[in-house]
Amino acid sequence: MHAIWSGAIGFGLVNIPVKLYSATQESSLDLDMLDKNGHANIHYARINAKTGKEVPWANIVKGYKYNDGYVVLTDADFEKVSPQKSKMIDINDFVKAEEINTTFYDTPYYLSPTKGGERAYVLLREALKQSGKIAIGQFVLRNKESLCILKPQDDVILLQKIRFAEEIRSYEDLGIPKNITVKPAELKMAHSLINQLTPKKFSISKYKDTYDEDLMKIIKAKAKGKKITAPKFKIIHNKSKDLMEQLKASLDTGTRKKAS
Amino acid sequence: METTKSINGIKMAFSHLDKIFWPDEGYTKGDVIDYYNKVYPHIIKYMKERPESLLRMPNGLADKGFFQKDAGLNAPEWVKHVPLHSESAEKDINYIICNDKPTLLYLANLGCIEMNPWNSRLDTLDKPDYFVMDIDPSEQNTFEQVIETANVIKELLDKAGAASFPKTSGATGIHIYVPLGAKYTYEQAKNFANTIAIMTQEQLPDFTSLERTLSKRGKKHIYIDYLQNRKGQTLACAYSLRPKAGATVSTPLDWKEVKKGLHPSDFTMNNIIKRIEKKGDLFSGVLLKGIDMMKCIKQLESK
Repeated sequence: MHAIWSGAIGFGLVNIPVKLYSATQESSLDLDMLDKNGHANIHYARINAKTGKEVPWANIVKGYKYNDGYVVLTDADFEKVSPQKSKMIDINDFVKAEEINTTFYDTPYYLSPTKGGERAYVLLREALKQSGKIAIGQFVLRNKESLCILKPQDDVILLQKIRFAEEIRSYEDLGIPKNITVKPAELKMAHSLINQLTPKKFSISKYKDTYDEDLMKIIKAKAKGKKITAPKFKIIHNKSKDLMEQLKASLDTGTRKKAS
Repeated sequence: METTKSINGIKMAFSHLDKIFWPDEGYTKGDVIDYYNKVYPHIIKYMKERPESLLRMPNGLADKGFFQKDAGLNAPEWVKHVPLHSESAEKDINYIICNDKPTLLYLANLGCIEMNPWNSRLDTLDKPDYFVMDIDPSEQNTFEQVIETANVIKELLDKAGAASFPKTSGATGIHIYVPLGAKYTYEQAKNFANTIAIMTQEQLPDFTSLERTLSKRGKKHIYIDYLQNRKGQTLACAYSLRPKAGATVSTPLDWKEVKKGLHPSDFTMNNIIKRIEKKGDLFSGVLLKGIDMMKCIKQLESK
Protein backbone atom coordinates (compact mmCIF):
# COMPACT_ATOMS: atom_id res chain seq x y z
CA MET A 1 0.00 0.00 0.00
CA HIS A 2 1.11 3.52 -0.77
CA ALA A 3 0.81 6.16 1.92
CA ILE A 4 -1.03 9.14 0.48
CA TRP A 5 -0.22 11.58 3.24
CA SER A 6 2.08 11.73 6.23
CA GLY A 7 2.00 13.97 9.27
CA ALA A 8 0.83 13.71 12.82
CA ILE A 9 -2.28 13.56 14.94
CA GLY A 10 -2.27 16.55 17.30
CA PHE A 11 -3.92 15.42 20.48
CA GLY A 12 -3.48 17.76 23.42
CA LEU A 13 0.20 18.03 24.09
CA VAL A 14 0.98 14.82 22.25
CA ASN A 15 1.83 14.50 18.57
CA ILE A 16 1.39 11.04 17.10
CA PRO A 17 3.31 10.69 13.81
CA VAL A 18 1.19 8.79 11.32
CA LYS A 19 0.76 7.87 7.67
CA LEU A 20 -2.51 7.78 5.83
CA TYR A 21 -3.58 4.97 3.51
CA SER A 22 -6.66 4.55 1.42
CA ALA A 23 -9.04 2.00 2.92
CA THR A 24 -10.96 1.26 -0.25
CA GLN A 25 -10.29 -0.09 -3.73
CA GLU A 26 -12.13 -0.20 -6.99
CA SER A 27 -13.86 -3.50 -7.49
CA SER A 28 -15.21 -3.07 -10.97
CA LEU A 29 -13.78 -4.78 -14.05
CA ASP A 30 -10.95 -2.97 -15.70
CA LEU A 31 -12.25 -2.06 -19.16
CA ASP A 32 -10.01 -0.29 -21.63
CA MET A 33 -11.16 2.30 -24.10
CA LEU A 34 -10.29 1.33 -27.67
CA ASP A 35 -10.63 2.68 -31.14
CA LYS A 36 -13.43 0.75 -32.83
CA ASN A 37 -11.20 0.37 -35.89
CA GLY A 38 -8.09 -1.62 -35.14
CA HIS A 39 -8.56 -1.67 -31.34
CA ALA A 40 -5.72 0.65 -30.47
CA ASN A 41 -5.80 1.96 -26.90
CA ILE A 42 -7.18 5.41 -26.31
CA HIS A 43 -5.08 7.68 -24.20
CA TYR A 44 -5.66 11.15 -22.92
CA ALA A 45 -3.41 13.98 -23.79
CA ARG A 46 -3.12 17.36 -22.13
CA ILE A 47 -3.28 19.83 -24.93
CA ASN A 48 -2.18 23.44 -24.99
CA ALA A 49 -5.36 25.21 -26.07
CA LYS A 50 -3.39 27.73 -28.12
CA THR A 51 -0.84 25.62 -29.97
CA GLY A 52 -2.76 22.34 -29.98
CA LYS A 53 0.41 20.61 -28.84
CA GLU A 54 0.70 18.16 -25.98
CA VAL A 55 2.12 19.45 -22.70
CA PRO A 56 4.11 17.09 -20.42
CA TRP A 57 3.07 16.84 -16.77
CA ALA A 58 6.30 18.46 -15.67
CA ASN A 59 5.31 21.65 -17.48
CA ILE A 60 1.82 21.90 -16.04
CA VAL A 61 1.18 24.39 -13.23
CA LYS A 62 -1.96 25.54 -11.48
CA GLY A 63 -3.09 29.11 -11.70
CA TYR A 64 -5.90 31.32 -10.51
CA LYS A 65 -7.38 33.87 -12.87
CA TYR A 66 -6.84 37.20 -11.20
CA ASN A 67 -7.66 40.51 -12.89
CA ASP A 68 -6.39 40.05 -16.45
CA GLY A 69 -3.77 37.44 -15.87
CA TYR A 70 -3.08 34.26 -13.97
CA VAL A 71 -1.41 33.94 -10.59
CA VAL A 72 0.54 30.68 -10.73
CA LEU A 73 0.68 28.67 -7.51
CA THR A 74 3.47 26.29 -6.57
CA ASP A 75 3.64 23.52 -3.96
CA ALA A 76 5.41 25.93 -1.65
CA ASP A 77 2.48 28.34 -1.93
CA PHE A 78 0.00 25.64 -1.00
CA GLU A 79 2.07 24.67 2.01
CA LYS A 80 2.10 28.30 3.13
CA VAL A 81 -1.71 28.43 3.29
CA SER A 82 -1.94 26.71 6.63
CA PRO A 83 1.40 25.09 7.34
CA GLN A 84 0.08 23.62 10.54
CA LYS A 85 -2.90 21.85 8.99
CA SER A 86 -1.09 20.42 6.00
CA LYS A 87 1.05 18.33 8.33
CA MET A 88 -1.27 17.92 11.29
CA ILE A 89 -4.60 16.32 12.03
CA ASP A 90 -5.86 18.61 14.77
CA ILE A 91 -8.30 16.98 17.13
CA ASN A 92 -10.90 19.47 18.37
CA ASP A 93 -13.79 17.44 19.81
CA PHE A 94 -14.75 14.01 21.00
CA VAL A 95 -18.33 12.89 20.35
CA LYS A 96 -20.50 9.78 20.40
CA ALA A 97 -20.49 8.07 17.00
CA GLU A 98 -24.27 8.29 16.65
CA GLU A 99 -24.09 12.08 16.92
CA ILE A 100 -22.80 12.17 13.38
CA ASN A 101 -25.37 11.26 10.78
CA THR A 102 -24.17 8.78 8.12
CA THR A 103 -25.05 11.36 5.49
CA PHE A 104 -21.84 13.11 6.48
CA TYR A 105 -19.64 10.07 5.94
CA ASP A 106 -17.19 10.29 3.09
CA THR A 107 -14.09 8.30 2.08
CA PRO A 108 -12.44 6.10 4.73
CA TYR A 109 -8.67 5.86 5.26
CA TYR A 110 -6.41 3.89 7.58
CA LEU A 111 -3.92 5.56 9.87
CA SER A 112 -0.74 3.73 10.83
CA PRO A 113 1.84 5.00 13.32
CA THR A 114 5.29 5.85 12.05
CA LYS A 115 8.50 5.45 13.99
CA GLY A 116 8.26 6.67 17.55
CA GLY A 117 4.48 7.03 17.43
CA GLU A 118 3.50 3.44 18.22
CA ARG A 119 2.80 3.81 21.92
CA ALA A 120 0.83 7.02 21.65
CA TYR A 121 -1.12 5.50 18.73
CA VAL A 122 -2.18 2.47 20.81
CA LEU A 123 -2.98 4.73 23.73
CA LEU A 124 -5.35 6.86 21.65
CA ARG A 125 -6.97 3.77 20.10
CA GLU A 126 -7.62 2.10 23.46
CA ALA A 127 -8.86 5.32 25.05
CA LEU A 128 -11.32 5.80 22.20
CA LYS A 129 -12.55 2.20 22.50
CA GLN A 130 -13.13 2.46 26.23
CA SER A 131 -14.81 5.83 26.11
CA GLY A 132 -17.04 4.70 23.23
CA LYS A 133 -16.32 8.02 21.53
CA ILE A 134 -14.80 9.15 18.28
CA ALA A 135 -12.50 12.13 17.65
CA ILE A 136 -13.25 14.95 15.26
CA GLY A 137 -10.31 16.54 13.52
CA GLN A 138 -9.31 18.83 10.71
CA PHE A 139 -6.43 18.65 8.29
CA VAL A 140 -5.48 19.53 4.75
CA LEU A 141 -5.41 16.72 2.18
CA ARG A 142 -4.47 17.47 -1.43
CA ASN A 143 -4.83 21.20 -1.04
CA LYS A 144 -8.27 20.84 0.47
CA GLU A 145 -9.44 21.50 3.99
CA SER A 146 -10.82 18.21 5.25
CA LEU A 147 -13.01 17.39 8.20
CA CYS A 148 -12.68 13.88 9.60
CA ILE A 149 -13.46 11.50 12.38
CA LEU A 150 -10.96 9.12 13.99
CA LYS A 151 -12.52 5.87 15.07
CA PRO A 152 -10.99 2.72 16.50
CA GLN A 153 -11.64 -0.40 14.50
CA ASP A 154 -10.02 -3.56 15.79
CA ASP A 155 -6.26 -2.82 15.57
CA VAL A 156 -6.41 0.24 13.43
CA ILE A 157 -7.51 3.81 13.84
CA LEU A 158 -9.80 4.60 10.97
CA LEU A 159 -9.82 8.12 9.60
CA GLN A 160 -13.03 8.82 7.79
CA LYS A 161 -13.46 12.06 5.96
CA ILE A 162 -16.79 13.64 6.75
CA ARG A 163 -18.59 16.38 4.90
CA PHE A 164 -18.95 19.93 6.14
CA ALA A 165 -22.47 20.92 7.15
CA GLU A 166 -22.82 23.24 4.12
CA GLU A 167 -22.29 20.30 1.77
CA ILE A 168 -25.46 18.55 2.93
CA ARG A 169 -28.72 19.40 1.23
CA SER A 170 -32.04 19.87 2.98
CA TYR A 171 -34.85 17.48 2.08
CA GLU A 172 -37.53 20.08 2.76
CA ASP A 173 -38.40 20.43 -0.93
CA LEU A 174 -39.16 16.73 -1.34
CA GLY A 175 -42.60 17.00 0.30
CA ILE A 176 -42.18 14.01 2.59
CA PRO A 177 -45.58 13.51 4.33
CA LYS A 178 -45.57 14.47 7.99
CA ASN A 179 -49.02 13.93 9.44
CA ILE A 180 -49.90 10.41 8.50
CA THR A 181 -50.65 8.11 11.42
CA VAL A 182 -49.95 4.40 11.20
CA LYS A 183 -52.20 1.67 12.53
CA PRO A 184 -50.76 -0.35 15.46
CA ALA A 185 -51.64 -3.65 13.77
CA GLU A 186 -49.75 -2.72 10.63
CA LEU A 187 -46.81 -1.57 12.66
CA LYS A 188 -46.80 -4.87 14.50
CA MET A 189 -46.75 -6.75 11.23
CA ALA A 190 -43.84 -4.68 9.99
CA HIS A 191 -41.98 -5.37 13.21
CA SER A 192 -42.34 -9.10 12.86
CA LEU A 193 -41.08 -8.88 9.28
CA ILE A 194 -38.07 -6.94 10.41
CA ASN A 195 -37.33 -9.52 13.07
CA GLN A 196 -37.60 -12.32 10.59
CA LEU A 197 -34.99 -10.70 8.35
CA THR A 198 -32.60 -9.93 11.18
CA PRO A 199 -29.72 -12.44 11.24
CA LYS A 200 -28.13 -13.48 14.51
CA LYS A 201 -24.80 -12.31 13.26
CA PHE A 202 -24.69 -10.10 10.21
CA SER A 203 -21.78 -10.32 7.80
CA ILE A 204 -21.64 -7.79 4.99
CA SER A 205 -19.35 -10.04 2.96
CA LYS A 206 -22.30 -12.16 1.93
CA TYR A 207 -23.29 -9.34 -0.44
CA LYS A 208 -21.48 -9.62 -3.71
CA ASP A 209 -21.27 -7.42 -6.74
CA THR A 210 -22.47 -9.98 -9.31
CA TYR A 211 -22.63 -7.53 -12.20
CA ASP A 212 -18.92 -7.91 -12.88
CA GLU A 213 -19.13 -11.68 -12.65
CA ASP A 214 -21.92 -11.72 -15.20
CA LEU A 215 -20.03 -9.34 -17.46
CA MET A 216 -16.97 -11.56 -17.22
CA LYS A 217 -19.05 -14.51 -18.38
CA ILE A 218 -20.07 -12.54 -21.46
CA ILE A 219 -16.47 -11.52 -22.11
CA LYS A 220 -15.28 -15.13 -21.91
CA ALA A 221 -18.04 -16.33 -24.19
CA LYS A 222 -17.19 -13.64 -26.69
CA ALA A 223 -13.49 -14.44 -26.58
CA LYS A 224 -14.28 -18.10 -27.27
CA GLY A 225 -16.62 -17.33 -30.12
CA LYS A 226 -15.81 -15.58 -33.34
CA LYS A 227 -12.87 -13.27 -33.30
CA ILE A 228 -14.00 -9.77 -33.96
CA THR A 229 -10.72 -8.08 -34.80
CA ALA A 230 -8.85 -10.55 -36.95
CA PRO A 231 -10.93 -11.69 -39.89
CA LYS A 232 -10.24 -15.24 -40.99
CA PHE A 233 -8.81 -15.62 -44.42
CA LYS A 234 -9.19 -19.36 -44.64
CA ILE A 235 -12.30 -19.37 -46.73
CA ILE A 236 -11.10 -18.43 -50.13
CA HIS A 237 -13.73 -18.08 -52.75
CA ASN A 238 -13.29 -20.24 -55.81
CA LYS A 239 -13.11 -17.13 -57.88
CA SER A 240 -10.00 -15.83 -56.17
CA LYS A 241 -8.60 -19.39 -56.15
CA ASP A 242 -8.95 -19.65 -59.91
CA LEU A 243 -7.46 -16.26 -60.32
CA MET A 244 -4.50 -17.17 -58.16
CA GLU A 245 -3.88 -20.34 -60.15
CA GLN A 246 -4.04 -18.36 -63.35
CA LEU A 247 -1.68 -15.79 -61.93
CA LYS A 248 0.76 -18.42 -60.73
CA ALA A 249 0.76 -20.04 -64.17
CA SER A 250 1.50 -16.69 -65.82
CA LEU A 251 4.29 -15.96 -63.33
CA ASP A 252 5.76 -19.40 -63.95
CA THR A 253 6.00 -18.93 -67.70
CA GLY A 254 7.50 -15.52 -67.04
CA THR A 255 10.39 -16.96 -65.05
CA ARG A 256 10.90 -19.83 -67.48
CA LYS A 257 11.21 -17.41 -70.33
CA LYS A 258 13.77 -15.45 -68.39
CA ALA A 259 15.74 -18.57 -67.61
CA SER A 260 15.96 -19.77 -71.20
CA MET B 1 -3.29 39.12 -69.42
CA GLU B 2 0.02 37.33 -69.67
CA THR B 3 2.83 37.18 -67.19
CA THR B 4 6.23 36.12 -68.39
CA LYS B 5 8.61 34.38 -66.08
CA SER B 6 11.91 32.65 -66.53
CA ILE B 7 11.87 29.13 -65.10
CA ASN B 8 15.11 27.13 -65.32
CA GLY B 9 16.23 29.47 -68.07
CA ILE B 10 13.07 28.99 -70.08
CA LYS B 11 10.89 31.99 -70.74
CA MET B 12 7.36 30.98 -69.89
CA ALA B 13 4.15 32.87 -70.41
CA PHE B 14 1.45 32.37 -67.80
CA SER B 15 -2.06 33.48 -68.61
CA HIS B 16 -5.16 34.41 -66.61
CA LEU B 17 -3.47 34.02 -63.25
CA ASP B 18 -6.35 35.83 -61.52
CA LYS B 19 -8.99 33.51 -62.91
CA ILE B 20 -11.05 32.07 -60.05
CA PHE B 21 -10.77 28.26 -60.08
CA TRP B 22 -12.49 27.58 -56.75
CA PRO B 23 -15.47 29.95 -56.58
CA ASP B 24 -16.30 29.11 -52.96
CA GLU B 25 -12.80 29.63 -51.66
CA GLY B 26 -11.72 32.25 -54.18
CA TYR B 27 -8.56 30.32 -55.10
CA THR B 28 -7.21 31.20 -58.53
CA LYS B 29 -5.30 29.59 -61.34
CA GLY B 30 -2.30 31.51 -60.02
CA ASP B 31 -2.65 29.59 -56.74
CA VAL B 32 -2.51 26.29 -58.64
CA ILE B 33 0.69 27.30 -60.45
CA ASP B 34 2.08 28.55 -57.17
CA TYR B 35 1.31 25.24 -55.48
CA TYR B 36 2.97 23.16 -58.18
CA ASN B 37 5.95 25.48 -58.10
CA LYS B 38 6.37 24.70 -54.40
CA VAL B 39 5.53 20.99 -54.44
CA TYR B 40 7.65 20.32 -57.52
CA PRO B 41 10.59 18.56 -55.77
CA HIS B 42 8.21 16.03 -54.25
CA ILE B 43 5.62 15.44 -56.96
CA ILE B 44 8.13 15.16 -59.78
CA LYS B 45 9.36 11.77 -58.49
CA TYR B 46 5.95 10.34 -59.26
CA MET B 47 5.70 11.92 -62.71
CA LYS B 48 9.15 11.52 -64.26
CA GLU B 49 9.29 9.45 -67.45
CA ARG B 50 5.58 8.70 -67.25
CA PRO B 51 3.12 9.58 -70.02
CA GLU B 52 0.70 12.14 -68.63
CA SER B 53 -3.06 12.14 -69.19
CA LEU B 54 -4.18 15.72 -69.41
CA LEU B 55 -7.39 16.68 -67.66
CA ARG B 56 -7.66 20.36 -68.48
CA MET B 57 -9.99 22.56 -66.48
CA PRO B 58 -9.41 26.05 -67.82
CA ASN B 59 -12.59 27.24 -66.10
CA GLY B 60 -11.66 25.72 -62.76
CA LEU B 61 -14.42 23.97 -60.87
CA ALA B 62 -17.10 25.76 -62.90
CA ASP B 63 -17.26 22.87 -65.37
CA LYS B 64 -15.89 19.39 -65.77
CA GLY B 65 -13.11 20.33 -68.12
CA PHE B 66 -11.90 17.95 -70.81
CA PHE B 67 -9.27 15.30 -71.47
CA GLN B 68 -6.83 16.49 -74.05
CA LYS B 69 -5.35 13.91 -76.33
CA ASP B 70 -2.32 14.61 -78.47
CA ALA B 71 -1.24 17.36 -76.09
CA GLY B 72 2.34 16.88 -77.17
CA LEU B 73 1.68 18.26 -80.64
CA ASN B 74 0.75 21.72 -79.41
CA ALA B 75 3.40 21.93 -76.74
CA PRO B 76 6.45 24.19 -76.95
CA GLU B 77 9.60 22.54 -78.22
CA TRP B 78 11.18 22.19 -74.79
CA VAL B 79 8.32 19.95 -73.59
CA LYS B 80 9.17 16.26 -73.97
CA HIS B 81 6.53 14.25 -75.75
CA VAL B 82 6.31 10.77 -77.25
CA PRO B 83 3.88 9.13 -79.65
CA LEU B 84 2.30 6.01 -78.14
CA HIS B 85 -0.13 3.70 -79.79
CA SER B 86 -3.57 3.89 -78.24
CA GLU B 87 -5.76 0.83 -78.59
CA SER B 88 -8.94 2.71 -77.77
CA ALA B 89 -8.21 5.50 -80.27
CA GLU B 90 -6.64 3.03 -82.77
CA LYS B 91 -3.82 5.41 -83.55
CA ASP B 92 -0.73 7.03 -82.09
CA ILE B 93 -1.29 9.69 -79.47
CA ASN B 94 1.30 12.21 -78.52
CA TYR B 95 1.81 12.17 -74.79
CA ILE B 96 3.58 14.80 -72.72
CA ILE B 97 6.27 13.50 -70.38
CA CYS B 98 6.79 15.75 -67.39
CA ASN B 99 10.40 15.55 -66.27
CA ASP B 100 11.09 19.08 -65.10
CA LYS B 101 9.65 22.16 -63.47
CA PRO B 102 8.90 24.16 -66.62
CA THR B 103 6.81 21.27 -67.96
CA LEU B 104 4.95 20.90 -64.67
CA LEU B 105 4.12 24.60 -64.63
CA TYR B 106 3.21 24.44 -68.31
CA LEU B 107 0.64 21.75 -67.47
CA ALA B 108 -0.69 23.87 -64.60
CA ASN B 109 -0.96 26.83 -66.95
CA LEU B 110 -3.01 24.66 -69.33
CA GLY B 111 -5.50 24.35 -66.48
CA CYS B 112 -4.46 20.90 -65.28
CA ILE B 113 -5.49 20.95 -61.65
CA GLU B 114 -4.82 17.22 -61.38
CA MET B 115 -1.69 15.41 -62.44
CA ASN B 116 -2.47 11.97 -63.91
CA PRO B 117 0.66 10.00 -64.79
CA TRP B 118 0.76 6.42 -65.99
CA ASN B 119 1.71 3.58 -63.65
CA SER B 120 4.67 2.67 -65.88
CA ARG B 121 7.68 4.57 -67.21
CA LEU B 122 8.82 4.91 -70.85
CA ASP B 123 11.61 2.32 -70.50
CA THR B 124 9.26 -0.30 -69.15
CA LEU B 125 5.94 0.84 -70.54
CA ASP B 126 4.31 -2.58 -70.28
CA LYS B 127 5.39 -3.14 -66.69
CA PRO B 128 3.93 -0.88 -64.03
CA ASP B 129 6.01 0.24 -61.06
CA TYR B 130 3.12 -0.45 -58.72
CA PHE B 131 -0.46 -1.56 -58.61
CA VAL B 132 -3.23 0.45 -57.00
CA MET B 133 -6.25 -0.52 -54.96
CA ASP B 134 -8.70 2.33 -55.39
CA ILE B 135 -11.23 2.48 -52.55
CA ASP B 136 -14.03 4.53 -53.97
CA PRO B 137 -17.04 5.09 -51.69
CA SER B 138 -20.60 5.71 -52.85
CA GLU B 139 -22.85 8.48 -51.63
CA GLN B 140 -24.05 6.76 -48.50
CA ASN B 141 -20.77 5.31 -47.27
CA THR B 142 -19.02 6.88 -44.32
CA PHE B 143 -15.33 7.62 -44.35
CA GLU B 144 -15.04 5.22 -41.40
CA GLN B 145 -16.07 2.44 -43.80
CA VAL B 146 -13.39 3.55 -46.24
CA ILE B 147 -10.88 3.36 -43.40
CA GLU B 148 -12.10 -0.10 -42.45
CA THR B 149 -11.81 -1.30 -46.03
CA ALA B 150 -8.29 0.13 -46.29
CA ASN B 151 -7.29 -1.69 -43.14
CA VAL B 152 -8.64 -5.02 -44.36
CA ILE B 153 -6.66 -4.58 -47.59
CA LYS B 154 -3.61 -3.70 -45.53
CA GLU B 155 -4.07 -6.80 -43.40
CA LEU B 156 -4.34 -8.99 -46.49
CA LEU B 157 -1.26 -7.40 -48.05
CA ASP B 158 0.59 -7.85 -44.76
CA LYS B 159 -0.32 -11.54 -44.80
CA ALA B 160 0.94 -11.74 -48.35
CA GLY B 161 4.15 -10.06 -47.23
CA ALA B 162 3.56 -7.14 -49.60
CA ALA B 163 4.53 -3.59 -48.70
CA SER B 164 1.71 -1.09 -49.12
CA PHE B 165 1.46 2.68 -49.12
CA PRO B 166 -1.82 4.53 -48.57
CA LYS B 167 -2.75 8.02 -49.71
CA THR B 168 -5.95 9.99 -49.71
CA SER B 169 -7.44 10.23 -53.15
CA GLY B 170 -8.00 13.90 -52.44
CA ALA B 171 -11.73 13.34 -52.84
CA THR B 172 -13.62 10.81 -50.70
CA GLY B 173 -11.54 7.68 -51.09
CA ILE B 174 -8.18 6.13 -50.32
CA HIS B 175 -5.62 4.73 -52.77
CA ILE B 176 -3.33 1.93 -51.70
CA TYR B 177 -0.16 1.45 -53.75
CA VAL B 178 1.91 -1.74 -53.78
CA PRO B 179 5.39 -1.55 -55.35
CA LEU B 180 6.07 -3.96 -58.23
CA GLY B 181 9.47 -2.76 -59.38
CA ALA B 182 8.44 -2.93 -63.08
CA LYS B 183 8.80 -6.72 -62.95
CA TYR B 184 5.27 -7.79 -63.85
CA THR B 185 2.88 -7.10 -66.68
CA TYR B 186 -0.23 -4.94 -66.34
CA GLU B 187 -2.28 -8.13 -66.68
CA GLN B 188 -0.49 -9.75 -63.74
CA ALA B 189 -0.75 -6.58 -61.69
CA LYS B 190 -4.46 -6.38 -62.41
CA ASN B 191 -5.02 -10.03 -61.52
CA PHE B 192 -3.19 -9.71 -58.26
CA ALA B 193 -5.17 -6.58 -57.43
CA ASN B 194 -8.33 -8.45 -58.37
CA THR B 195 -7.43 -11.29 -55.98
CA ILE B 196 -6.95 -8.84 -53.10
CA ALA B 197 -10.18 -7.07 -54.09
CA ILE B 198 -12.18 -10.32 -54.02
CA MET B 199 -10.77 -11.32 -50.66
CA THR B 200 -11.46 -7.89 -49.23
CA GLN B 201 -15.01 -7.94 -50.49
CA GLU B 202 -15.49 -11.34 -48.84
CA GLN B 203 -14.42 -9.84 -45.53
CA LEU B 204 -16.71 -6.84 -45.85
CA PRO B 205 -19.73 -8.06 -47.82
CA ASP B 206 -22.11 -5.55 -46.22
CA PHE B 207 -20.70 -2.40 -47.68
CA THR B 208 -18.14 -3.21 -50.37
CA SER B 209 -18.62 -4.25 -53.95
CA LEU B 210 -16.63 -5.15 -57.05
CA GLU B 211 -19.52 -4.17 -59.31
CA ARG B 212 -18.23 -1.71 -61.81
CA THR B 213 -21.54 -0.34 -63.03
CA LEU B 214 -22.73 2.42 -60.76
CA SER B 215 -26.43 1.63 -61.19
CA LYS B 216 -25.91 -2.00 -60.21
CA ARG B 217 -23.64 -1.09 -57.33
CA GLY B 218 -26.15 1.19 -55.65
CA LYS B 219 -25.45 3.96 -53.19
CA LYS B 220 -24.50 1.90 -50.18
CA HIS B 221 -21.39 0.12 -51.38
CA ILE B 222 -17.78 1.08 -51.61
CA TYR B 223 -16.30 0.19 -54.98
CA ILE B 224 -13.00 -1.65 -54.62
CA ASP B 225 -11.58 -0.71 -57.97
CA TYR B 226 -8.75 -2.94 -59.19
CA LEU B 227 -9.21 -1.98 -62.83
CA GLN B 228 -7.02 1.10 -62.50
CA ASN B 229 -4.17 -1.32 -63.14
CA ARG B 230 -4.42 -1.26 -66.90
CA LYS B 231 -2.06 0.34 -69.33
CA GLY B 232 -2.93 3.97 -69.85
CA GLN B 233 -5.32 4.07 -66.92
CA THR B 234 -4.44 6.87 -64.54
CA LEU B 235 -5.19 8.22 -61.09
CA ALA B 236 -4.22 11.53 -59.56
CA CYS B 237 -0.68 10.95 -58.30
CA ALA B 238 0.75 11.64 -54.86
CA TYR B 239 0.71 15.39 -54.07
CA SER B 240 -1.61 16.11 -56.98
CA LEU B 241 -4.21 18.78 -56.36
CA ARG B 242 -7.81 17.75 -56.87
CA PRO B 243 -10.58 19.89 -58.34
CA LYS B 244 -12.60 19.51 -55.14
CA ALA B 245 -13.90 21.80 -52.43
CA GLY B 246 -11.10 23.16 -50.27
CA ALA B 247 -8.43 22.47 -52.92
CA THR B 248 -7.60 19.08 -51.44
CA VAL B 249 -4.42 17.19 -52.24
CA SER B 250 -3.92 13.46 -52.75
CA THR B 251 -1.83 12.98 -49.63
CA PRO B 252 0.47 10.08 -48.71
CA LEU B 253 -0.34 8.73 -45.27
CA ASP B 254 1.36 6.78 -42.57
CA TRP B 255 -0.67 3.61 -41.96
CA LYS B 256 -0.91 4.75 -38.34
CA GLU B 257 -2.99 7.66 -39.54
CA VAL B 258 -5.50 5.43 -41.32
CA LYS B 259 -7.97 5.24 -38.44
CA LYS B 260 -10.97 7.07 -37.12
CA GLY B 261 -10.33 10.77 -36.99
CA LEU B 262 -8.69 10.89 -40.40
CA HIS B 263 -10.39 13.39 -42.71
CA PRO B 264 -9.25 13.68 -46.32
CA SER B 265 -10.41 17.29 -46.32
CA ASP B 266 -7.68 18.11 -43.78
CA PHE B 267 -5.02 18.00 -46.49
CA THR B 268 -5.12 20.96 -48.82
CA MET B 269 -2.76 22.95 -51.01
CA ASN B 270 -2.42 25.40 -48.11
CA ASN B 271 -0.92 22.99 -45.59
CA ILE B 272 0.61 20.12 -47.53
CA ILE B 273 4.08 21.62 -47.90
CA LYS B 274 4.32 22.01 -44.12
CA ARG B 275 3.24 18.40 -43.69
CA ILE B 276 5.92 17.17 -46.10
CA GLU B 277 8.53 19.22 -44.26
CA LYS B 278 7.45 17.59 -41.01
CA LYS B 279 6.80 14.00 -42.09
CA GLY B 280 9.03 13.67 -45.11
CA ASP B 281 7.85 11.92 -48.25
CA LEU B 282 5.83 8.96 -46.94
CA PHE B 283 5.40 7.60 -50.46
CA SER B 284 8.98 7.05 -51.59
CA GLY B 285 8.77 3.29 -50.87
CA VAL B 286 6.34 2.94 -53.78
CA LEU B 287 9.22 3.39 -56.22
CA LEU B 288 11.64 1.16 -54.32
CA LYS B 289 11.88 -2.63 -54.20
CA GLY B 290 8.91 -4.43 -55.68
CA ILE B 291 7.15 -7.40 -54.19
CA ASP B 292 7.78 -11.03 -55.16
CA MET B 293 4.34 -11.80 -56.50
CA MET B 294 4.71 -15.59 -56.51
CA LYS B 295 5.82 -15.55 -52.89
CA CYS B 296 2.91 -13.29 -51.98
CA ILE B 297 0.35 -15.59 -53.61
CA LYS B 298 1.78 -18.64 -51.87
CA GLN B 299 1.64 -16.81 -48.55
CA LEU B 300 -1.98 -15.86 -49.18
CA GLU B 301 -2.87 -19.44 -50.08
CA SER B 302 -1.21 -20.87 -47.00
CA LYS B 303 -3.37 -18.78 -44.70
